[in-house]
Amino acid sequence: MIPGKYRSVSGRAANNVNCGLHLVIQTSSLSDKNKVEFRLNRETPPFPGRLLQHDLERNYSSRQGDHISLVSSSMPAFPILQRSSEEKTLYSDRLTLERQKLTVCPIIDGEEHLRLLNFQHNFITRIQNISNLQRLIFLDLYDNQIEEISGLSTLKSLRVLLLGKNRIKKISNLENLKNLDVLDLHGNQITKIENVNHLCDLRVLNLARNLLSHVDNLNGLDSLTELNLRHNQITFVRDVDNLPCLQRLFLSFNNITSFESVSCLAESTSLSDITFDGNPIAQESWYKHTVLQNMMQLRQLDMKRITEEERRVASVVPKKEEEKKRESHKQSLLKEKKRLTINNVARKWDLQQRVANIASTQDRKDSESPPQESCQLDGGNISAFPEEAGSLDAGLSSALQGLSVTETHLVEIDGETLSLYGSGALECLDRNWSVQTAGMVTTVSFTFIEFDEIVQVLPKLKMKFPNSLHLKFRETNLVMLQQFNALAQLRRVDQLTIDPQGNPVVNFTLWKYYVLFRLSHFSMQKINGTEVTQNDMIMAERLFGILAHVASSELPQYRMISILGDARKKQFRYLLESKGKKPGIICEETSDSKRFLGENTNRATLNYTTREFYHEKLEEIKDKKKFCRLYVEDLVKEATAINMKNEALQKLWPQMFIELVRDAVIEIRSKDSYMKLCLQQITDQK
Amino acid sequence: MLSPERLALPDYEYLAQRHVLTYMEDAVCQLLENREDISQYGIARFFTDYFNSVCQGTHILFREFSFIQATPHNRASFLRAFWRCFRTVGKNGDLLTMREYHCLLQLLCPDFPLELTQKAARIVLMDDAMDCLMSFSDFLFAFQIQFYYSEFLESVAAIYQDLLSGKNPNTVIVPTSSSGQHRQRPALGDAGMLDGVEASLFYQRLENLCDRHKYSCPPPALVKEILSNVQRLTFYGFLVALSKHHGINQALGALPDKGDLMHDPAMDEELERLLVQVPGLVNSITATSEASCLPSRTPPRVGSPWKPLHRSRKLDAESDGSTEETDESET
Repeated sequence: MIPGKYRSVSGRAANNVNCGLHLVIQTSSLSDKNKVEFRLNRETPPFPGRLLQHDLERNYSSRQGDHISLVSSSMPAFPILQRSSEEKTLYSDRLTLERQKLTVCPIIDGEEHLRLLNFQHNFITRIQNISNLQRLIFLDLYDNQIEEISGLSTLKSLRVLLLGKNRIKKISNLENLKNLDVLDLHGNQITKIENVNHLCDLRVLNLARNLLSHVDNLNGLDSLTELNLRHNQITFVRDVDNLPCLQRLFLSFNNITSFESVSCLAESTSLSDITFDGNPIAQESWYKHTVLQNMMQLRQLDMKRITEEERRVASVVPKKEEEKKRESHKQSLLKEKKRLTINNVARKWDLQQRVANIASTQDRKDSESPPQESCQLDGGNISAFPEEAGSLDAGLSSALQGLSVTETHLVEIDGETLSLYGSGALECLDRNWSVQTAGMVTTVSFTFIEFDEIVQVLPKLKMKFPNSLHLKFRETNLVMLQQFNALAQLRRVDQLTIDPQGNPVVNFTLWKYYVLFRLSHFSMQKINGTEVTQNDMIMAERLFGILAHVASSELPQYRMISILGDARKKQFRYLLESKGKKPGIICEETSDSKRFLGENTNRATLNYTTREFYHEKLEEIKDKKKFCRLYVEDLVKEATAINMKNEALQKLWPQMFIELVRDAVIEIRSKDSYMKLCLQQITDQK
Repeated sequence: MLSPERLALPDYEYLAQRHVLTYMEDAVCQLLENREDISQYGIARFFTDYFNSVCQGTHILFREFSFIQATPHNRASFLRAFWRCFRTVGKNGDLLTMREYHCLLQLLCPDFPLELTQKAARIVLMDDAMDCLMSFSDFLFAFQIQFYYSEFLESVAAIYQDLLSGKNPNTVIVPTSSSGQHRQRPALGDAGMLDGVEASLFYQRLENLCDRHKYSCPPPALVKEILSNVQRLTFYGFLVALSKHHGINQALGALPDKGDLMHDPAMDEELERLLVQVPGLVNSITATSEASCLPSRTPPRVGSPWKPLHRSRKLDAESDGSTEETDESET
């Protein structure tokens, strides 16, 4: 900033001062407007251009120094100020050098009693040559080009220091000014508050229009009553609670966005007047009552008097705001948790599907391996989680981490929708839902759950959520048409949404018709979002009507009994399995299944048994079959043996008969001897 | 009561061979399964019902696969039931994938194995493009061969491979994993000449097989007919020919001729009756129904769905024509 040549000049000047050698040179070129004898002669500017460029110059001539003449030194030295004795007596304690186009402080000689010195609107770049004015109380250097606070160390009685509109970058060299009362540093380039902690008498500190990014380091300013920080870039404020006398604080036009960043203000007991206008915080709806709520001592906010009414409102509203905020935080926490859990469930589901695939392929070759696979699944699941948590913002993740690792399922009720993620979520159907909540639920959505597992809870679903009309399935492994049979046991279904994702059955051309056919007793309205038309119903009947007819009219009665009986038993079992034995439920269930029989007799035989149960049943039957085989085998062997004997007898019988007859004939051939023999026998008997 | 065979074999073996034991066992098993219900309704009644349903072929509905494939009669009954139930799907003209047909099969038999359906689809599609759409009749006839003659085809595949490796070492064989089925890479230019095995030789081996095979096989005369028409043929070529041969279809007796496949007036009548019950009926269906209603002069046979489709009814397809006649004459 300072041209080298000029600097050398001032350096020499300093020397001169020290030597006490004052060179007085009367310049020949006096100002046009000289009306006073003694004039303050100005140094001819070494760089005329620099002066000309200033706007100030225009005003200069009209307001130029009243009764002061400045005797400018010749080229290298400082101007020396001299006043007439008249002047001196009139304004013995003050000297005003406003708008004198000064670039340096003149040497002021013989004015040791000066108490007020004004250098406003000059071009002074450095404070110097005033160290002798030890009684100075008021020093005004407003609107100059000072870059550093210096040369003030001797001015111990200085009370008011005005350095506004300069080029100061740093607060410094104020160590000795212990009596400072007012310090004005507005319109500078200060980035940080420092070196002021010793100013225990300071009442007013103006740091407006600087480059402060925050406020702190304020302790020690025990008398400060007014602090002006307008037009900075402040984002947070600290330490204000260490200012016991602070009454007015101006923070207008900064970058404060939340009350948390200025929360220390609430601790201050003395503050009565504060401004926040022009900050983002002032735009918030909660701004006013939050401030009022937290700072009961305030009397003015943004230059407006605070009324009792406002204060009262403020004391009520913020509580709500606070609650709302907490709620929203909780919401976002929940949301995040939900997202994580769903991710987790999805990953688990994915693994499960893969394992199932592997198992099913291996099953053919080797049926022993699957159990190992399922163990690996658990391990992989847990280890996979933390890397996910890393991507969250810190606050949430710390709150969530503990929870999420164990969360393998999610249950959510959002208005009328009950959403279940992960097979564990099905357990929620065992919970005691309030009648109201349960009654509200009209949509139930299943995600990442095996359809077979869903089937087992359907009876419970029917009881707990009697109004559920819309079922949604996503990633539920619906692969067969017959699986839809299971839905027939529900009370009512108006809408069905089967997401193609994870439900291969949707790729079939016939699935919709089959659903319509099998669930025709519900008179469904929508399938996958499309309205069911009359033609759809007819088509469904056309395609599958015969199946139903065959199933109902041609099924032998003993089969009908056994199938329907199975269906009933199955429902019991699904219920009993988790419920323990509650007689009430069973009664209800039996009456239900009776109704279900009546509703669609010709379709009732088309039901679905989950694979697990089916295989179990086959196992059961195996034993019975084995027994039957042995039993029938024994019976048949016995029968064939008897038959063989019978046949042998049949073969022998004619011959035997003939032999018998022959023997008889031979016996009675001689009548007499036979008669004798007979008589003999009779007498023998007696 | 007495057939020549009946005298030739010991009683027990005769009953076993005729699968009487299978049905006896199953009947007892069913009885055991639902004894509370059935005892209310009469055990004699139950046995009557049971054997009636066996005769009608309705005993296989919704039964487990092991039972359905246990006897040739069960297999034929299942084929027939499948046709009867899903004829309408074919009539509608939908082309379906293998998986979808499999689903339909599973509606009738919940544990029907996918493997069988896959094999049947392979006969239709001749290659690995298993996601292709198939027409109902193509699938049904291929499925019939595959399902009914399942064990026979396994043996045929083995024979085919023997011949292929013995006689034609140049042909590339790609055996599939465990099924015993074989496919060849089609040689593009002279496929007809080099592909497959020589028909006459193949027939000799098959005739031999039919003689000693204990499972059902197609009538040897018809196999001969198929094989005499060509010089060489591939395994799948043979299967396709089997599935398309109407004589074999007749001999099997489960399905009507291909031309009549969509024709089942009794059931159509039934369907019309059902359609009327659809809530809020639109009269558009009556227009289409007339065509199918007209030819239904034949009296409805609701009571006995299993009626001879062709000249001879075979309870047991293993017996050939001659024994069949004596069977009937003596009963």
